Parts: sequence; structure tokens; C-alpha cells
Amino acid sequence: MTAFLDVLIGGVFHAAVLFLVAAGLQLVFGVQKIVNLACGSFYALGAYFGISAVKWAIAAGMPPGLFIFVLIVAGLALAVIGPVIEALLRTVYRRDEAFQLLLTFALVLMFQDILRFFWGANPQELGDLVMSYGKLSAGGVQVPTYNVLVIVASIAIAVGIGAFLQRTRFGRILRATAENREMSQALGVNVTWINAAVFTLGTVLGTVGGALVVPTAAASLDMPVELVVEAFAVVVIGGLGSMRGALTGALIVGIMRALAIRYYAELEMLAIYIVVIAILIARPAGLHGKPIE
Amino acid sequence: MSVLLETSGVRKAYGEFVALDEVSLTVSDGEVLSIVGPNGAGKSTLVNVLTGLLKPTLGTVRFKGHDIAGVGPVMLARRGMARAFQLVHIFPALTVGETIAVAAISQTGRARRVFSSVMKDAELADRVREVAAIFGLDGKLATQSQFLSQGEKKLLDIASAFALKPEVILLDEPTSGVSSADKHGIMRTLMEASKRAGVKAIILVEHDMDLVAEYSSRIVALQGGRVLADRAPRDFFNDPEIVAAIVGKMGPRHVRAA
Amino acid sequence: MRALLVVAAIAALVALPSVVSPYYVTVILPAVAYAIALLGFNLLFGYTGLLSFGHALFVAIGGYSAAVLSAKLGVKSFELVLLISAAVSVLVAIPVALLSVRYVRIFFGILTLAFGMLFHSFLFKFYDLTGGDTGLRVLRPSLFGREFADMDKTTFLVGPFYYYCVALLVVLGFIMWRIVHSPFGLHLMAAREHPRKAEYLGVRVRFVRFLAFLVSAFYCAIGGVILAINTGQADPELAYWTHSGDLVFMTVLGGFASFFGPIVGAFSFVALKGELMGLTGYWRFVLGVVLVIMVVLFPRGLVGVGQQVWAKVRPR
Repeated sequence: MTAFLDVLIGGVFHAAVLFLVAAGLQLVFGVQKIVNLACGSFYALGAYFGISAVKWAIAAGMPPGLFIFVLIVAGLALAVIGPVIEALLRTVYRRDEAFQLLLTFALVLMFQDILRFFWGANPQELGDLVMSYGKLSAGGVQVPTYNVLVIVASIAIAVGIGAFLQRTRFGRILRATAENREMSQALGVNVTWINAAVFTLGTVLGTVGGALVVPTAAASLDMPVELVVEAFAVVVIGGLGSMRGALTGALIVGIMRALAIRYYAELEMLAIYIVVIAILIARPAGLHGKPIE
Repeated sequence: MSVLLETSGVRKAYGEFVALDEVSLTVSDGEVLSIVGPNGAGKSTLVNVLTGLLKPTLGTVRFKGHDIAGVGPVMLARRGMARAFQLVHIFPALTVGETIAVAAISQTGRARRVFSSVMKDAELADRVREVAAIFGLDGKLATQSQFLSQGEKKLLDIASAFALKPEVILLDEPTSGVSSADKHGIMRTLMEASKRAGVKAIILVEHDMDLVAEYSSRIVALQGGRVLADRAPRDFFNDPEIVAAIVGKMGPRHVRAA
Repeated sequence: MRALLVVAAIAALVALPSVVSPYYVTVILPAVAYAIALLGFNLLFGYTGLLSFGHALFVAIGGYSAAVLSAKLGVKSFELVLLISAAVSVLVAIPVALLSVRYVRIFFGILTLAFGMLFHSFLFKFYDLTGGDTGLRVLRPSLFGREFADMDKTTFLVGPFYYYCVALLVVLGFIMWRIVHSPFGLHLMAAREHPRKAEYLGVRVRFVRFLAFLVSAFYCAIGGVILAINTGQADPELAYWTHSGDLVFMTVLGGFASFFGPIVGAFSFVALKGELMGLTGYWRFVLGVVLVIMVVLFPRGLVGVGQQVWAKVRPR
């Protein structure tokens, strides 16, 4: 039982991080109809940059216990790349989706070497820093407090995004633009600005997700391309464009992966992709997505 | 006069909402049938049932004796019925000749041919030229559709439907968006083209009652999903009740049959 | 004019081994493989309008079939390896296509990406069957029954094998030319341009897309076989989604709106990558920049640029 609980919590932690990246993907797809293949690259950027930021902060005399804040700030700081990349994507906005997809693929290629240029080919990590928050005991299981903090933070962000989309004026405008871009424009919404804002928000969700994961996992050059695989599984299962789908999908993928690693290592991603294909056969719009074609 | 298309007791309901109720009509060889009625009367639904897009909740729809309920556009085209739409649809990157050839290929069953050259197919080329000539497009066979004028695009759209050599063609508001001066010209071209293409019956959905009066051999008026009248134009326009119910709602024009 | 260019290109390819070093020819051999694969890929992308981000799956099937047939089942004949690998690829393509052609655009892309990664994870994890991340060995085949046992590997590859593959490219290219210029090809393009109108003109849209998918799987597998024999190895990277991305990259580089675009793209990409790898460790970045330039400025690819230049300099 305790082993199972252990796996479950590990799965939820992974889901918490996946959710952030997937939420970013869904936001961008929902409003701009762009599928961002570079989401994994942003995630990796957040991870590497987070590590550097923490190392720098500690060397500058910051007490190690504050590292989670440094990570979050590092992730947020990377928001600056959002508008820049969105401006690039804007050049092919009116054209076929294939071109947008290709541009994001070009970004993946470019980021591979950008990451290697700044941080080298070896994986980077923060060592035992995660232990400075100690562990929590629950139901006979010991969980690093850090992991719980991340799960809580992720839930808070999920609730925040939900409230933002449903209750604020800006959120309503976002949802309207996602439904019908032309109509929104006709009603005076500055869609250009919205696109830049949404893409930046999506970027930040990815970078923060990456930053938050580094105490428990090393940052490596495989990250960008591997994460895309998982993130896509999440959005397909949950339904493209749906926030609720990002949540459900992340939980399913996170927990399934944790279970697979523990009990049947060969399966891992294979199991997840079988679920993906099954959903695509049975309910192609995903669990929460809008029906298509 | 053989019956080509017929519906019998067609009813189409969406839950509580009844779009069509007890609609029975026939379209026979040599007829030009106009379907008229105010918006919301069920014209679109009826057209979709007649062209095999919608399955009726009750009743049958048969084309040349075959049940075509919900068979879909591809099957319909193969059975010999074509449909031209109100909004112009083209294949932007294909030329005029290629567009018409698409239909001709379907009609002659050539779609299976994976290795033979379209260019070298003399029979196909003749058919394409023939159809293009009827609509005055034979000088533009090599022009890409996206570079045609709006009027030419409309002609191409209709021409490609005619290239199916359909026995029955349904024209959905063919003169919409056309200036009044040109309307009669278009209708004459359509009638002429139908004759030359071997079309046996035409179904026309039109709002312009002048055109309806002039070109139809029979008029079916729909109101509230039911057939209000099914008569020849003279009887149709001489009936004050029908005129009031339909014409009043369809436009300010006062119509008198020839 | 075009015919002249094609003949010149074939002549250049045939003459290549006599002019450049064997090393260079082994670099070009993958380009021949990709040219064949992309001819098939572009039938689906350029002509049918369906962008697959998972076609590396079929290239991988070609490679792994070649491995299993040659190393595990002792099949020596290149002809048999090609045929069987392509057949396996088409068989796998049938359910994938049946499912995928119901959707278009981004959903088609995501669905195909999912299938590609499914196969990749299968290759990666089932060590006993597939050799896991080290992959499987691929043995040298016999060509038309001849073994060339006296030749060492490189001599074989840059000699008889190279000429055989170039001949394959010409033959398969001719077949694809006939396909896209056939009535079937026209129906494909109609389905791409306006699926609904195409249906009203009697085009069986889903069926022609399905067939195009199968043909593309056939061609990709053959490309995969050649790639695997060239390296002597079939490994899971062949099926990774970034490899699928490379296929799209090459096609767009050459020009997806033209018949010869993919072929030009294959050779250009392989040559460009080869040169870049020699110049800098950050060749991926440069490739990314090239892709950005192509997508933003030259969407019709190198062939498109060539056509524009020709239109300007053409003698009147």
C-alpha cells in the first residue's frame, strides 16, 4: 500500500509540472490556433536558467531555503522571450497551419544549440538542495516537502487560471477571441496585443514548470524533445484547447507513467501512447475538447 | 413522362422542431421545378433531403427508383444528380480545364486510373472543352481558378457540376449576387447549358419571382415545413391566397404570369 | 526545358562516383534514400494537403524490416528485402491511415505524431525484439542475386549499390510522376483544394486520401531500407518525431508545391547538413535559421526560388 501511495504521489508531482506546460500549450492553441512544438524547449530553458539562478543566488549569499522563490522568479523572468518569438510567429499567422508548425520546429532546432551553447552538453542539477525543505510523512509514506509545495503551487496556478479565464474581463476577452477571432476584432479587441500576451503567458507557464522541476530532476539536452512527447499525450487525452483537459490529461499521464515505471518499466511511454491512440479512436476530441470535423 | 426524383411523406424533425412535414413531390423528365418559400420555411432542409445529405425522419426519397436517403454527395454525383451552390466554390490552384476534368473523371469512372495521363486522354479533353464552351470558358482552360473574375468563377462552379452529365441538377439560388440586368442572361445560359448537357430535369431554388415565373414549368411553395402549393406557374400566380402567402413574404415585386 | 534539367541531373548522379571521393558518395547515398522517401511523403503533403508529423514511422519500418530480414531471417536478395519491407509498411499504414484520414490539418498532424511515437517507444523498450536503443544490425544484400563478396563494404556501397539506388530513384520517380498526373492525382488535388466541393463532383475524398497515405508509406519504407543498409544499422532514432520533422523540413526546403521540390530538398538538406557539421558544432541552430528563412521568405522552397529567377532571366 505504501509503495502504491509513493508511486501515486510521485505521479501527481509529475502531473503538476506537466499541467503547467500543457496549460501553456492549451492557452496558445485555444486563442491563436498554434501548436507550439517548442514548448519543451521553453521548459528546458526554464530548467537550465533556474539552476543557474539558484547557483548564482546562493553564491551571492542567499540562504538556501529561499531557492524555490528564486526558481519561480527565474521562470517568470524568461517571459521576455515570449513577445520576441510571438513576433516571429506573427509573420506566418495568416498562412497555412503547416507553416506555423514548421516555425516552431525551427525553434526546437535552434534552442537545442542555444541551450548547449550556454550550458554545455552535460546534464545540470541542483544536487541535494531539495532536501533542505525536509520531508513530510503521510500514511506511512515519506514525501519531500518540496514536491508537496510544487503540487500546491500548481493547484494554485490552476485555480488562478480558471478564475482568471472565467471571472476577469481580460479572461472573457481571451475566451471570446478563442471562439471567434474575427468577431472579437470587429468588436474592437486588439487581437495583436492579445496574441502577444497569451503567447507570453503560455511561455511563462512552460518556463516556470521547467524551473520547478529541477530540484528533483537534472536538466539535460534531451528535455526539449522528450517533453513534447508527453505534453502532446496530455493535450490529446485532455482535448486540444481545453484547460480542464490539461488538468485531466496531466493527471492521467503523470500517474500512468509513475505506475508504469514502478511496475512494468518496458511499457512507460508505450502505455501512455496506447491510451492516446485509444482516445483518438473512441473520442477524438479528447475528454474535454470540442468535437472536430 | 418518367419520374426521376420523388419524395413521399417526408418528415424531418429535430427533436421537437419539425422542419419538414408530409412533403411529397415528384420531379419528372423535362420539368423545371422551382422551390419557393420564405426563409425558415424548410427550403434548405428539403433541398438537403432531395440531394441525399439529410436522412428524413420519416418517408422516402428516391432517385430513379433508388433510395437516396442520406447517401451523401459522392454517391449522389455518381447516380446522376448534381448540385450547384449559392456561394461560389472553386479549386483555387486548379485550372479551369482541371476543375471541369475532376467532374468528368468521376462521371466516366476514370478515378481508378492511377497511371494514365490526364493530359493525353483525348476523350476527357473533348468533354472538358465541350462543357467549357457551353459556358464561354473554353478560352480560359489553362487559367488557374483563383485568377478568374467573380462572374467567371460562378460560371466555372456551375460548369463543373454540369460536367457530371447529371440527369437532374439542383441550382441553389444561381442568380444571387448577380445584378438584375444579368439575371436573365444567366438563366438563359443555364437553360441552354442544361439542354446541351443532356440534363433531363432542373430543380431551382429561387427568391426572384420574376425568374421563377418565366422559367419554371412547375412551382412548389413551402411554408412552415409543409407544401402549400404544387402547381404550374399560371395556376400558381392566379391564386390570390398563394400569392399573398408566398410573394408577399418574398419581396415587394408584384408578379403576373405570362 | 524541364526534361533537359532532369536528364542532366540523372547524368550528374550517375557520373558522381567517378568524379568525387568515395566518402562523398556515402554522404550522398542517404540523399537518394530521402529523395525516394520524400517523393512519397509529398504525395500526401503537397498533393493531398495532409501534413504528417509521424512519417518517420514508415522510414523506420523500412529500416527495421531490412534488419530483421537480412540479419535474423537470412534474406539476401535486395529485391525481396525492398518488396517485403514496403509491404509491411503498407500493412501498418492501413489502420493508421483508416484512422487518420478522418481528420485534417492539425489533428491529422497530432494523430500521426502520436502513431510515430508509439512505434518509437515500442522500438525503444522491447529490447529482445528490437534491440532497444542500440537497434539491430543490417546486413549487406545481394543485388539481382550477385553478392559482390570480393568488395569491401565501402566499395560496394559507392559502387553497385549506389547505381542501383539511383536507378530505383529514377524508376520510382517516374511512377510517382505518372501517379500525380493521372485522374487519381487530379482527384487528390481537388480533395486538397476544397474537400466539400470535390465530393459534390464525385471525388471520394477519404478514399483517395487513404490511398495516397498507403503509397507514401510504401515510398518511405524503401527510403528507410536504403538508409539502413547504408549505415548497417536500424535504430529507434529513425522513428523519433524529430526525424519526422526533418522529413517536413527537407520537403519545404525543396518546395512542396513542385514535383521535383522534395528531391531537391533531400539533396540540399543532406549536403547542407554535411557541410554545416564540418563547419560548426552548432549546425542545428543554423539549420533552424535556414528553416525560418524558408518558411517566412521562400515558402515555395528552392524550386520556387529557381522558378522565380528563371521567370526573370528567361530569354523572351
